[in-house]
Amino acid sequence: MAIRESDLAAKQTKTIGWNGKTLKEMRREIDELTKETGYYAGLEKLPFKESEPIRFEKIFAKLRGGVVHARETAKRVAASPIVEQEGELCFTLYTPEGDSVVTSTGIIIHVGTMGSAIKFMIENDYEENPGIEPGDIFCNNDCQVGNVHPCDVHTIVPIFWEGEVVGWVGGVTHVIDTGATAPGSMCVGPVTRYDDGYQIACRKIGRNDELLRDWLVESQRSIRTTKYWLLDERTRVAGCHMIRDLVLSIIEEEGIDAYKQFIRELIEEGRRGLINRLKAMTVPGKYRQVAFVDVPYRHPDVDVPPYAKVDTIMHAPSEITINPDGSWELSFDGASRWGWHSYNAQPIAFTSGIWVMMTQTLIPNDRVNDGAVYATQFVLPEGGWMKPDDIRTAHSYAWHFLVSAWSPLWRGLSRAYFSRGYLEEVNAGNANTSNWLQGGGFNQYDTIHAVNSFEAAAEGTGASAVRDGLDHAAAIWNPEGDMGDMEIWELAEPLLYLGRSIKPNTGGYGKYRGGCGYETLRMVWNAKDWTMFFMGNGYMSSDCGLMGGYPAAAGYRFEAHGTDLKERFEKRLPFPQGGDPNPDDPQYEKVLESKEIKRDKQAITTEAIFENYDLYLNYLRGGPGFGDPLERKPEHIEADLNGGYLLPEYAEKVYGAVFTRDEKGRYHVDPKKTEERRKQIRQERLKRGKPTREWMKKERERILRKEAAVQVQHMYASSFSLSEKFLNEFRTFWNLPESWVVTEEELEVPTFGSKLKLTESI
Amino acid sequence: MSQHKPQILAIDAGGTMTDTFIIDDRGEFVVGKAQTTPEDESVGLLNSAEDALLYWGMTGEEAFPQMLTGVYSGTAMLNRLVSRKGRRVGLIVNKGMEDFHRMGRAVQSHLGYSYSDRLHLNTHHYDPPLVPREWTRGVTERVDMFGNVVIPLYEHEVEPAVRELVEEGVEAIVISLLHSYKNPVHERRVRDIARETIQKMGKDIPVFASVDYYPVRKESHRTNTTILEAYAADPSRHTLEKVNQRLSEKGAKFDIRVMASHGGTISFRANELARTLVSGPIGGVVGAKYLGEHLGISNIACSDIGGTSFDVALITQGDFTINTSPDMARLVLSLPLVSMDSIGAGTGSFVRVDPYTKSIVLGPDSAGYRVGVCNPNGGIDTITVSDCHVVLGLINPDNFLGGQVKLERERAYEAVKTQLAEPLGLSVEEASYGVIELLESQLRNYLESMITGKGYSPTQFVCFSYGGGGPLHTAGYVKGLGFEDVLVPAWAAGFSAFGCGAADFEYRYDMTLDINVPDGAAENQKTEAASVLQRAWSELQEKVTEEFVKNGFSRDDVRFRLFFRMQYQGQLNDLEIESPLMHVETVDHWDALVNAFEETYGRVYAKAARSPELGYTITGAIVRGVVDIPKPKIPEEELAGEEPPKEAYLGKRRVYWAGEWIEADIWEMEALKAGNRIKSFAIIESPATTFVVPFGFETVLDSHRIFHLREVSR
Repeated sequence: MAIRESDLAAKQTKTIGWNGKTLKEMRREIDELTKETGYYAGLEKLPFKESEPIRFEKIFAKLRGGVVHARETAKRVAASPIVEQEGELCFTLYTPEGDSVVTSTGIIIHVGTMGSAIKFMIENDYEENPGIEPGDIFCNNDCQVGNVHPCDVHTIVPIFWEGEVVGWVGGVTHVIDTGATAPGSMCVGPVTRYDDGYQIACRKIGRNDELLRDWLVESQRSIRTTKYWLLDERTRVAGCHMIRDLVLSIIEEEGIDAYKQFIRELIEEGRRGLINRLKAMTVPGKYRQVAFVDVPYRHPDVDVPPYAKVDTIMHAPSEITINPDGSWELSFDGASRWGWHSYNAQPIAFTSGIWVMMTQTLIPNDRVNDGAVYATQFVLPEGGWMKPDDIRTAHSYAWHFLVSAWSPLWRGLSRAYFSRGYLEEVNAGNANTSNWLQGGGFNQYDTIHAVNSFEAAAEGTGASAVRDGLDHAAAIWNPEGDMGDMEIWELAEPLLYLGRSIKPNTGGYGKYRGGCGYETLRMVWNAKDWTMFFMGNGYMSSDCGLMGGYPAAAGYRFEAHGTDLKERFEKRLPFPQGGDPNPDDPQYEKVLESKEIKRDKQAITTEAIFENYDLYLNYLRGGPGFGDPLERKPEHIEADLNGGYLLPEYAEKVYGAVFTRDEKGRYHVDPKKTEERRKQIRQERLKRGKPTREWMKKERERILRKEAAVQVQHMYASSFSLSEKFLNEFRTFWNLPESWVVTEEELEVPTFGSKLKLTESI
Repeated sequence: MSQHKPQILAIDAGGTMTDTFIIDDRGEFVVGKAQTTPEDESVGLLNSAEDALLYWGMTGEEAFPQMLTGVYSGTAMLNRLVSRKGRRVGLIVNKGMEDFHRMGRAVQSHLGYSYSDRLHLNTHHYDPPLVPREWTRGVTERVDMFGNVVIPLYEHEVEPAVRELVEEGVEAIVISLLHSYKNPVHERRVRDIARETIQKMGKDIPVFASVDYYPVRKESHRTNTTILEAYAADPSRHTLEKVNQRLSEKGAKFDIRVMASHGGTISFRANELARTLVSGPIGGVVGAKYLGEHLGISNIACSDIGGTSFDVALITQGDFTINTSPDMARLVLSLPLVSMDSIGAGTGSFVRVDPYTKSIVLGPDSAGYRVGVCNPNGGIDTITVSDCHVVLGLINPDNFLGGQVKLERERAYEAVKTQLAEPLGLSVEEASYGVIELLESQLRNYLESMITGKGYSPTQFVCFSYGGGGPLHTAGYVKGLGFEDVLVPAWAAGFSAFGCGAADFEYRYDMTLDINVPDGAAENQKTEAASVLQRAWSELQEKVTEEFVKNGFSRDDVRFRLFFRMQYQGQLNDLEIESPLMHVETVDHWDALVNAFEETYGRVYAKAARSPELGYTITGAIVRGVVDIPKPKIPEEELAGEEPPKEAYLGKRRVYWAGEWIEADIWEMEALKAGNRIKSFAIIESPATTFVVPFGFETVLDSHRIFHLREVSR
């Protein structure tokens, strides 16, 4: 048991912690015990689990089953397709100190985020003021208090047993609008916290299980889509109360002492579980990888303040160190600085979210809790985009960076799996989960509405070492992906489908290719005063392939305004339908007259006005590939060509395939000729190649002359400014003089925020 | 002459074996088996029935004329689907959307997976589409969600599309256009042009328009289901006709009916035959409903443990809950399906210790019919729940399935020791007992959350327990839940077949609607809403009547029930509610519908979640119609007193229970008499099931051969 003898003496004052302690004292004690012993709460042994494994398991099953069931039931109250169809809600049970014990299905990044809010309340003496009492309801969505982005709204309820807090239950839903600068839950416009929308920092919003009137009034006036907000809140409250009842019934059955011991041991068990998995699946050592993604803000279609008008690149080098004892460290030293865009992340959001990915590969089970966090050391650079040292940062679409930065971790782990022979577990990484079709205005029901299409929940997945990635299947934040039915999206959005098609060439090439993405063509229909925007990678691919595989295709945008579609329909003329399979050879434009067409790599934009009959292409990305494309089996290439997964030009160029096409249009790949052609390509490769040292010498000259694009230099300058260690590594690697550096000042771009900071007052 | 009066014939035609259950007027049944004969299923069926009748010393010629009714359920259609051996179907969809069917909704890449595998991305996979891309064609048109035509039908595109498909050699054509359930004009026009074109080409190929079958929202579900109709269901119609003909040649005086997903039986002549795709598992629920009606019980928690899963379904106010967009065989569908929740925990579930956390994990996979390590011929290495039963003495290793399968306790003991007891530091008996405790506690949690999750309390329900493994665990999983009563029919193992025989002859048709009425609506809005709903009901009543007419019934024979689906405006989940009125027209009528909805909503989601300020939407109309048909008789016996007859007592067996070895009384189920009271610790055995009455319980057999299990103090 984690309680020390010396602390057992009850205090005189009315406290809500265990045995007369305050929650703050309990928090400190857990941290100290854990730090001193290396075991969560000092639990070197698990006496309850070891002596009564069946009873322990029974309690777990009841708790976990109940939490999952509460989610399923509460979900049906919601109106938002994001919550109800895409399952963007999650409930988690916490210890009194805010460590997660059991979490429901759903977006389990919130294992940690709501815990962070609980810890914040404890740290800031909420016990004294505003007080924590039975029946209280708290709300948080503040990104500097551990939230991922403001649209993840948390409802947090304390659980009391005989005057003591025995735990907390938190519920989170992804709301449809947050009252930010633009409609849509993850809009692109915000560059500061003050643009991010309505933020609630751990506020008491209810007493005696009832929401306070002032809260209802204020919250309803702060966001655009009041009906959804209301029903989402009812969903969260209903689920929290179901779980609270469940916990109380378990305590009644098992006794309070058993419950207290159980929650502690379960977390320690979670810590050991991760360590054992790492031991079983990986090889100790260092795994290094890197991530980049574009921030193209110096574009007329990105309407932000002048100091934010910077084209730059997110940088996230990572190093996984797996120790022989199974513990591990994840270091992101060398990451670029936070910036004036919507993609910053708070450390808890960053680290907690990693479990969303790990549960898809390393620990795919229901026993994920804060134990995994205690088994992991994180190194995040101070002032980095995942650890901002300024409270002004915006976070509305933190996922742009998170998705890009986490995906390489899967590549790192895959190299470990590969080394152990777990070829089926290898995964070349995740798709960049975009585009995000967002916007708002008056919809087909003549009410103000915001849209955020979760068609993005079904992107191509990464290839493994034994088979292709899955086409249009999942997202890094949700393995149980789905794209939903068109008829349901048309209920939610005043946008008529003119196409839904598999997009060729979007999965990274390889011996096993990445899963292809897909695209939907939407025509604005029945909307008034309507705006939309794009959000995704465009100029860059945000992943790499693995072991010779190619990265997935990058994004682009297509939008058409002032079209002649109405006349075309009346005259039964052809018009754009279906996909845009080869953007290098655009077909839509051949059957369309428009005042303006935007077809370019600018895949991030802020609000643009859309009229009825305007077009918007929503392209959902593919996943990266595995292995040398020259090793891909000819029959697989043939199937790709005939299935529309691969453009013929690339079958020749990348795969070295030699093929014919019959009168019915079917492709036939000739294995023999293909083998011949591949031999040639290998010869050409050898001719083109040069020794690494020679190449590095040339490259070093370019670095000394600072020949890189300004965006690349800006990225490095911001990384260097945060980490002397990273700068020195860079210098050593390239054998640069000690005086060599790139600074932001020399690049003639705005440098707001690089020197002066606004730090948190509380 | 046999003393048995065969009443009901229930056929379960599997892929390899055809099982026949024949139930007599006492509820007693015999099971016959014969090899399935796919080229002519009626041959296997008759062989199987003759095999069953042998037990009663009867021939088919004697038995068939006495029988009142016959119900068929089979896996032929499902097998055809799963093995992708259906017809070559061509598909016509909106131009630009030709990929949507083969893309298949990402959810289909992980449907039917355990939780762990759903998370584990690298395990996901898609099954091949029912219709490949090369047999799919697009035609230009668009109707919006309100049913307005946005893009007219480009009629000139239809004929070439149909010609191409026919030339590709398709054997059926399915048409599914977006929002056709809302405005069917384009889809029906395409259908008609397709038929004309096929005729012009001198071919005979059936055409299926989705709106003629499943006029409900969600194109993936609707399209999959309509394809199923063409791909697998329609080809089954011929088989059923033949079966029917053979039976009547043998003297049967009834038309064979087929178990359907909505919990009723339908004629093989029915329009929507795809809903007979799945039927077996819901038989028990149908049986429970029927038994409930007979016994005057309207709220029933049905629980069924087989070798692989624990299935729970609720009957409330005498009705099933229906899931209108379920999934089967890893496809999202738009069939009405009796909603049942399953967890992968049955008597054959594997038991393992997780190597990483040292926790006991039950299932989700199972040994199924191979039982466990205790079965020397099973080829199983991993221990199962059944192995624990054997170790504990709960099942008699020499009398498993009436002695058909001999089990070896020693094998089970050794395997439990090395795989479970030693890793956990427990004795073999403790570990085995722990598994049973854990299983029963998981089943109990599950059952409880199913009931409370729907806004009820177990005290409002009578629990029915059946299935081969049910009565072994009944006491364990009902303990402390406070059910009003717990019923175990003596024919528990054959209860599903009994249920099939007891099913109503019932059609159910659904239609998607979008009737929006704001909070505080004006009177004319309410009356308009009522009239739209009434029109839908009338149309569906016609459709139901037409089906019955095919079997020689008239409209007057049909008893109708009207239902509607309602939600607060903007919500995505509706509730299905029986209309308190058979005709709606006035403001008062509308208000009565709203009140019925509010009452149900408050119960299901807590009153605090009510949101009348949002207004109401009716999303669908449903009509159910039944006609009278013969049903199995529930057994009736004279009460014989509490004392069981001596010949029922089989002696004692050592059983390990809650930390000690005890001597359990063993009884023969068939020999017990109505009114007998059996006290713990008792095990009541029959060839197909084992009923455990542990400490704290006793059971009484009533005059209908149903055991009532009651908690008493030890």
